[in-house]
Formats: sequence, structure tokens, C-alpha cells
Amino acid sequence: MVNVEEIRGYAAGLLEKGEVKSVLGFRRGSASAFAEPCTLIEASDAASLVWDPTCLNNLALYLVKDRKQQAVSKTPDTRPVGIVAKGCDSRAIGVLLQENYFKREDVVVIGVSCEGTGVVDPRKLSAKLKGRTASRVTFDGADGINVSVYGDGTETVIPAREVLADRCLECRAATPTLNDVVFGETVEARGYNEPFHAAKEAEKVSEDERWANWEHHFDRCLRCFACRAVCPMCYCPECVVDSTTFVVTLGTSAEEKANRIRWCERSANTSESAVYHLTRAIHLAGRCIDCGECERVCPVNIPLRLLNTKLEKEAFEMFEYQAGHDIEQASLLSSFRDEDPNSFIR
Amino acid sequence: MPAPDDWTPRSDAYFASPLAQGTPGKQCGLAATGDYQPSLRSPWLAAAATVDVKKVARELAKDDGVVFSEDYVYMCSDPGQTAVIDAIKDNDLNGMVISCCSPTLHEKTFRDASELGDLNAFQCEIANIREQCAWVHSDMEVATEKALKITRASVRRVQHNQALEPIGVPVTRRALVVGGGIAGIQAALDMTDAGLDVILVEKQATIGGNMLKLSETFPTLDCSQCILSPKMVSVSKNAKITLMTESEVESISGFVGNFKVKIKKKAEFVDPELCKLCDDCTPVCPVAVPNEYDVGLTNRRAIYIPFAQAIPASFTLDEEACLGLDPVVCGKCEEVCDVGAIDYDKKPTVTEEEVGAIIVATGFDLYGMEHMGEFGGGRYPDVLDGLQFERLCSASGATEGHIMRPSDHKVPKEIVFIQCSGSRDPENHCAYCSKICCMYTAKHATLYKHHVPDGQAYIFYIDIRSGGKGYEEFVQRSMENDGVIYLRGRVSRVYEKDGKLKVMGVDTLAGRNVEIDADMVVLAQAMEPSKGTAEIAKILKIGRDKDGFLAEAHPKLKPVESVTAGIYLAGAAQGPKDIPETVSQAGAAASKVIALLSKDQLAHSPTVAKVRDPYCTGCEMCVDACPYDAIALVDGKASVNEILCEGCGSCVGVCVRAAIDVKNVTQLQIHEMISAIMA
Repeated sequence: MVNVEEIRGYAAGLLEKGEVKSVLGFRRGSASAFAEPCTLIEASDAASLVWDPTCLNNLALYLVKDRKQQAVSKTPDTRPVGIVAKGCDSRAIGVLLQENYFKREDVVVIGVSCEGTGVVDPRKLSAKLKGRTASRVTFDGADGINVSVYGDGTETVIPAREVLADRCLECRAATPTLNDVVFGETVEARGYNEPFHAAKEAEKVSEDERWANWEHHFDRCLRCFACRAVCPMCYCPECVVDSTTFVVTLGTSAEEKANRIRWCERSANTSESAVYHLTRAIHLAGRCIDCGECERVCPVNIPLRLLNTKLEKEAFEMFEYQAGHDIEQASLLSSFRDEDPNSFIR
Repeated sequence: MPAPDDWTPRSDAYFASPLAQGTPGKQCGLAATGDYQPSLRSPWLAAAATVDVKKVARELAKDDGVVFSEDYVYMCSDPGQTAVIDAIKDNDLNGMVISCCSPTLHEKTFRDASELGDLNAFQCEIANIREQCAWVHSDMEVATEKALKITRASVRRVQHNQALEPIGVPVTRRALVVGGGIAGIQAALDMTDAGLDVILVEKQATIGGNMLKLSETFPTLDCSQCILSPKMVSVSKNAKITLMTESEVESISGFVGNFKVKIKKKAEFVDPELCKLCDDCTPVCPVAVPNEYDVGLTNRRAIYIPFAQAIPASFTLDEEACLGLDPVVCGKCEEVCDVGAIDYDKKPTVTEEEVGAIIVATGFDLYGMEHMGEFGGGRYPDVLDGLQFERLCSASGATEGHIMRPSDHKVPKEIVFIQCSGSRDPENHCAYCSKICCMYTAKHATLYKHHVPDGQAYIFYIDIRSGGKGYEEFVQRSMENDGVIYLRGRVSRVYEKDGKLKVMGVDTLAGRNVEIDADMVVLAQAMEPSKGTAEIAKILKIGRDKDGFLAEAHPKLKPVESVTAGIYLAGAAQGPKDIPETVSQAGAAASKVIALLSKDQLAHSPTVAKVRDPYCTGCEMCVDACPYDAIALVDGKASVNEILCEGCGSCVGVCVRAAIDVKNVTQLQIHEMISAIMA
């Protein structure tokens, strides 16, 4: 079992010695049982850190935000940032390092092993509680999740398999591979579902049905771009599918402004939304580390994780490539090997 | 040229065009479609008869920004070119699209014409309505619609083309030749005659290659060594040639005119300057390994000289065969060498050379005998391949020119030659014809009869391919004067019985099975690219064909050019060929290099990649993807070396941030083209 005091102690130590400018972690949320991301500046704040199955967020997102902030700051603080990272979060940091977004010495990874469980899926939990609100969610040490229900104080144990997020059920590396320290026991496979289980299930349906299904989902898309906003890999200054974030700098010529390309219109209709989601999926091939954040934040419940894990499955089956596992490796998109399938490339 | 009845040239279009109203940014395109008249009788043009070019020209004339649109039968002819130049001048065009065949064929033609009309060459684009349009459709309506879309897309593209100037690149006036066979030797000598410095790299201990192993050459029966060794000596005496034997190209960087090549030379344990060829070292060497020069018919020592006239003239130490280069283990040769030429502590060296052009002449190997199990290849000592038989006939060979069986040294009285052994057999072996086997088998049979007048030679053949000056006469002589028996048919099996090799074949002309009790069987093995061709092709980034031979850039018009600019091909590495053809190709490759390096500067295409700095995050994916090492990170942003960049667009494909573009093929232009096609 992870002792949260150890994490607090380590974070406090880093801040005390001035080795990091801040530590990204989780604290108790102001409403309900779910933890929320926080940034610690003072060592004394470390006592507010928590660790339980409600630490859903991929905090690597805030490393990206920090980097963007430092890039425009007149007095950038170049000291490293400490970050509490689950297995999936550490892979996200791995991809960012692989893509040179920041340097290894810019980040101190406080790894925490999920130890055979994972994080809960708020939707599954809410369905289980039949509308009641949880006040406290903890591991029971085995294969169960203890849930205290708000108001009546009752405590129930729900089998982990029934409330864990899909990605946790399929997880292959629950222990952060990239780390400066790890708390908790090293556990690799969960033994709940086989890797890419959901993607494989989705493939069983006929192509026509699949397309009809996705058309249905894309039709519902609001184009709120929450999936892009929460994704640590979506850090491009200008997104190719959208011109709202078009960067105008001193170097942007009048011609460039006039000739801005709109690969995809902003209107939220099925066809434009399909282009947006499929482009995003392809741009994440070999980069998505399956933190499931896009699916979690979607206000209309589009199963976005399926699109990304399908491509990760292809990457794994065709090229034995796993995003974020090896920061020395060349990116999937930019490299080829002689033994790769399809001989036309040679 | 007559205009169709329902179409009048839109002379008013010029006045109505935005250009004439003084809007400089807007461009106008000339859609000039030629070569597509249905009435033409030439077979490939008939295939192109599916596009109604008059309609294409007529429709395009109505498009925005197009001020001149016309069709012409032979746009690439001289009058056609003049029409293009006139059209540019008369209409003050600032962009032009020629809708015709592929740009590989005519882009240069029309860009030159464009320059003559005072329009920047890079404002001219080709819309290819041949390969992916006219040739693949039979329905004229559909094909015409497609041709219209393709041309329209190009017009939209050219409206955003920048005027560009070629990038001038200095030239290194030195050449590298890879492979020291007759092709490499000839190419090197020809280039030095033109005043170029040449580095000749050879993997073996001596230059000479396969030709060195031949006894006589068809059809004149010249002694092969006698005609080759003067050339080898010229190489060693030529001050402009740096000869590097036992060396291999390890890596290459750079580009046409300015390659940087890393060459690895094996450790030189015997100093060629000191070695005085006394041959005191070989008698004391305890190791014996098969001699490559005699194709395994004799053995040699670990320290050896490949043959008497080897260039460089020096003994050499075979690292793999030697007992370990450790004086404690052996060290006998060092002890007896009184000039102290042997040094076991030598290490391999890697040198970097700068050259402007490269000729690859890595030659051939014979298809392995181990593949010919049905003929007893690799199993019976008296079943030989063509090169082994050459060594038996050669005065410098194992038997000093006496033909005898390797097994018992008896003179073979019945000998069977099997042609197309491994060639022309797509199911089991090589699909192609090895070209030289018909002739050398006739030569072998003739030589055999000269050595063994009372013997009988049989040749199994599929058919005789004796195209070449004096070749057919040579084959006829072998039949008529030397009594060689030609049997048209294939051999099913060769096996040993009572000290004889039983050859089971068929004579299809007589329609009966043939059984010959032969003393010796010679297989005319197929030629295949020499070992290491795949590696060198990969290192140099040049292509190979389906059979593994090095690929020429164009089968008709660029037979000695590789697909990579500045790298040329010579000899059997490019495909099976005989000595005269190899020598001609080597001369051709040399003249290409001489022409290339005769200029002070080379023009490099300016359609190179350009980074849009604000969007670059420095992820380095383009750096990894660039096959030309043309991109590096400078201050956290990708930066393109325009001289190294070939404009291939690999970087554009991998950049998920769309932060890199190839000039005149920008994303905006691609977007415009797609829009035009989807409209």
C-alpha cells in the first residue's frame, strides 16, 4: 500500500531544499470525494497531498502549461518542476521528453504505483451509487474499492473491476517506468482485461455498423475541444484542424494571415467533426499513452479512447511500438526499420 | 492551329483579367494541352486518346485567373515551344500550367521555355494528365473530367507559386569508384584522363575482379589477364588514382558535387612499401584455406599474395584465417620477414574523403552452387561452375592450364555443359537471363576441345542467345570446327554412378531422353549481384531492382545514372553483361562524372523545405525523418540546410504541427489543389 505520508515527505523535502520550484500533485477536492490537481509552492503545503483512486487527472498537462508560460515570461523560472505521476502520467512525460518539449532535468518525477488497481471511472461509480454522492473512495488493499456515501455515512465495498476506468482494466504498466523515485509496490499487469480489450471488442462489429456508430458520436460532438484542451500531447501552438489558436507573431506575414488554411471548418456538423476527431487520432498515433483524459472530460460521452487505443494497438502489433516507454527511441511517425511491414518503404 | 468551331479564343479574357486591371498578386495560368490528339497513330498516344484536350482547354479558359488557354498537338516541339514563349510575352503571364505528360519528361523543357519568355522557371508547373489519367481510363468523358480537375488543381497551385532561383553549390573535383573490377578500373582511368582525381575502393586484396579469373575471352579468345593486367598496372602507376584495397565504404553524407564518404580499410598487417615479394612467409604459415582467386580449387596460406600480378603488389594477411595475430600463438611469418614488413598490431583505419561524384561498380557473383542440388552442385567435386572451369583452363590456374578432374586428376573424356543453370527459372531460381552464359559455354566447349582433342563436349541449352559482334559465328565454329554437340533440352538430374556422373536429360528436337556418362559437368550458373550489393545500395541510398541489381534512373534514357544525383552505375552490378558492354558502360559513367564535375558550380533545386518558426516546437521528428540529414535544431527550432535538402517532403509528412513546408508545394497549395479537385 502506498503511504501518502511518504509522498508528502518527499514533496516537502524537494521544496524545502529548493530543488524544485513547485510540485504538481493532488489534493482533496472542495466538492464530492474526487481529488483535484494542485500546485505546491511551500513545503508546508505538502500536508494537503492525497493519494487514492480518485486521482484521475494526468498532471503532465500542467508541465506543458508551465513550459508555455515560461516561454513567454520575461523572467522565466527555469528550476525543475516536481510531479506526482501514475504509470500513464509517466509515459506522457516520456513522450514529451522524446519530443524534446523539455529536458529530463527540468522535471522530477515522483512516481506512484497504482499497485494492481487504478483510478475509478466517475460515470461507473455514479451508476453504482444510483445517484448518491461518494464522500470518500479508497483502496481496500485487495480487489475492492471502499466507498463512503455522503450523507448517510454508509460504507460499501465495490469490486474494483466494476468501477475502475477502462484504461486501468487494460493497463500494462501500472508502475511509472520513468521516475526519480517510486512509492508503492511494482505491479505490471492487472489481470483484469487483456491489453487493447475495448478496441478489440469494438473491431468485432461490422464496418458499416462501426461507421454508423461513429457517425452518431460525431454528430453529437459539440466541438467544445475539451478533449484537446486536456490532452498533454495536444501542445501545438497552432492546431491544424482549427484556426482559433492561429498564432500571430512579429514574423507572421500578411500573406500568411490571409492564406491561413482551414482544413476543417468550425461548424459542429458530422462531417467537420469527423475530420477533427480523425485528424486528432492520427496525430496521436504512436504518441497517445492512454491516460483516458479525453474520454473522461467529454461532456457528451463520446468514446474517444477507442479511437486512440485502436491506433496504439496497430502501432504495437505492427511495429512493437509503445508510446512513452523509451525516451531514447525515435518517434513512431518519424522512423522506420528494415523489418517494418510493407516493403515499399525500403 | 485550327480552333474548334464552337470555340473562339478568348482574346477578351486578357483584358477582363484581374491582372490587366492591375492586381499584381493574382496570377494567370496557361493550360496548354498537347500530344493528345485521338487521330494520332502511335501506340502510346492511342492509349492517351481518351482525353478530349480541346474541351479541357475550352473549359479552363472560363476559369478565374486564367487569361490564356489553348491546345496544341505537339507542345514539346519547336513550334510548340515558340507558341508557349509568345503566349507568355503577349499576355504578360505571371504563371503557367502545361497540361501534358509527366514532369520527369518535360518539366525541364517547359521551364526552359518559360525562362525564355521572361517568366521565372518555378512559376511554370506541369499537370500530368497522362499516367494517372489518360492511360488508366477508357471512357473519354470520365477521363476528360479528371484531366480538367488535375489541370485546375495545378492552376490553383501555380497561383501561389513563388519565383525561385536555383541555389548555386560548389563542386569537389574528385570522384570515388566503388569496386575495382574491369568496370571500376576503366571508369577510374577514363576520369583521370580528364584530369580528375579518383579514389578507387576495392574490397579484395587486389583489383581485377572476376575478369582476372577468366582464361580466355569470347569471341576472340584473347587471354583475359593479358588484356587486363596492363590496365591494372596503369592504375597503380597513375598518380591521380588513390587505390584503397581491402576497403569498404562505411557511410556517406552530403549530396551531388559534395559527398563526404567514410572508407574503412582493414588493418594493413603487411606494409606494401616494405614487402619485397620474397615469399619467405608463406612456407612457414601453418594455415591453409580455400583460395578465392582459384574459386576454391586450390588452397592458400593465411599470409598470401592473391596472384603474381596482384595490384598492389604485396603480400597480405588474412585476418580471419590467421591464428589470431598473436605472436605467442604463432608469429612465424613475422620471424622470417627480414625487412620487418609484418606488424600484427596494425588496426583498421577509417578515413573521410570528399568527392563530387561516385561510380558504383561492385560487380557480380555466380549464383551459389548449393542451390543446384539436382545437378549435384556443391556435392560432387567434378561438378564445377563456370568460373571454376575458367581456372582449370587458365595457365595461371591450379592445373597450369591442363583440364583435369579435381577428384582424381584424370583428363575428362566426356564433358557436359548445362546452360541456364539457375537462370530463366522464376519458380525455383532467378527469373532473368544471365546473358553471358550462352557465349562462355560455347567458349568453354571450344577451349575443352583445344585441350582435349579426343574428348567429347555436350551442351544442354534452352536456346542460344548470341547477339553481339562475332558472337553467332563463334557459336557456329564451336559446332562445326570443334564438333561440340548441342542438345536442345533441359537436364533433370545429375548423379554419381561407378565413378561417372550420370546426366539425365532430354533432347527435345529428337524427342527422346538422353543419358550421358560424363567425367565432368560444368554448370553455367546465373549471375547475381555481388555479396554486399544490398548493403552498399542502402549506404549510398540508391535503389535496387526486383532481382537485387542496382537500379538505373531510367531504363532507356538514363542507363548509367542511379536514382540519386551524382551516383552512377557501371558493370554487372547494374545487370548481367559481358566485358565489352561493361567497359562501354564504365566509359559512359566516367563521361557523366566528367561532365558533372566540369562546372564550377552545380545548380541545386530551390524547392526546398522551409520551417515556419512560430509553429515549430523542436520535437525533432523531422530531424529523424530526413533521409538527407538536412535538418538540425538551431536554438530549439528546426533549421533546414538548403543545399542538402532535396525537397522530398518527408519532414512535412511527419510534422504534426504543420510547421514545415516545401517551397512551391506548401500546405496552402495542397489545400487549394484538393479544393479544386473536390469542387
